[in-house]
Amino acid sequence: MSSNHHSSHDETTTRHRVEGPKKHIVTFVLSLVLTLIAFAAVASGEINTAFTYIILVGMAVVQVFVQLSFWMHMKDKGHLFPTIGIIFGIIVVFTMVIMAEYWVWW
Amino acid sequence: MSSHDLNGPLPHEPERATLEGRNKILGFWLFLGAETVLFGTLFSSYLALRHNTGDGPTPNELFQLPTVFLATMILLTSSLMSVFAVQSLHQKKVKPMIGWLLITILLGLGFLGLEIYEFTEYIHEGHQMPTSAFSSSFYTLVGFHGAHVAFGVLWIGLIILQIMKKGLTVVTAPKVYVSAIYWHFIDVVWVFIFTVVYLMGKVG
Repeated sequence: MSSNHHSSHDETTTRHRVEGPKKHIVTFVLSLVLTLIAFAAVASGEINTAFTYIILVGMAVVQVFVQLSFWMHMKDKGHLFPTIGIIFGIIVVFTMVIMAEYWVWW
Repeated sequence: MSSHDLNGPLPHEPERATLEGRNKILGFWLFLGAETVLFGTLFSSYLALRHNTGDGPTPNELFQLPTVFLATMILLTSSLMSVFAVQSLHQKKVKPMIGWLLITILLGLGFLGLEIYEFTEYIHEGHQMPTSAFSSSFYTLVGFHGAHVAFGVLWIGLIILQIMKKGLTVVTAPKVYVSAIYWHFIDVVWVFIFTVVYLMGKVG
């Protein structure tokens, strides 16, 4: 982005390397696998409840992290503000979920 | 907009070429922060109320994993399609970009159709909005997500029409970028819905 914009069109395209679809396809396949693991853990019915919960939450958190990083471009530079916003959102949601699960029905 | 006028060659990453475009993206992330909190409240009320099924069916009796899996696949694929649209945007290929956006909203419509079918099935099985605390919080959370999908379909549809009319410029490019971010966010929320509502509902 810091490079000058006066260069000719061909130079511009080589200088600003346009990313290929590879990492997005990897993200898609990874999301697919994580989803399949989560569904399989429930559908098999052979894993005990507590461990199934751990698998489900783990798969969801990893999938969301990967999608935020690559599909929502948070891995790209200049995304400090969105990162702060999302972390703030996660703290709020975490607090509310803990409250709902452990405090409401005391 | 002095350095990048509408009729000149399109700059690299046209969605960030103007201050207006950059502000639009930043403002959109602020909106997504608010959306995160909104969905967080709906999730927490669902978690607090999901065992209160009253006389109505329980989550385990109600949910059909194959339907949920199909819906998940449709939305995940549409999310990939919208990231391809942004790649076409960066390559300044307008026609492929419109094509990817069209596939995105078609898949979004497929998801909505499946959700409407699912909800009508539930209503036939005696799972209506006022049936129990579980059913109310379920329809509020999942329905709110569905409403977001419906809004996204309309919004991206209108952006396609505008691109066809005005072309890809430093004004229209941020709209495409921001709508793609929105669409990914809808998919991210769905990851938590199929995990927390459907799969955890099946486990009990």
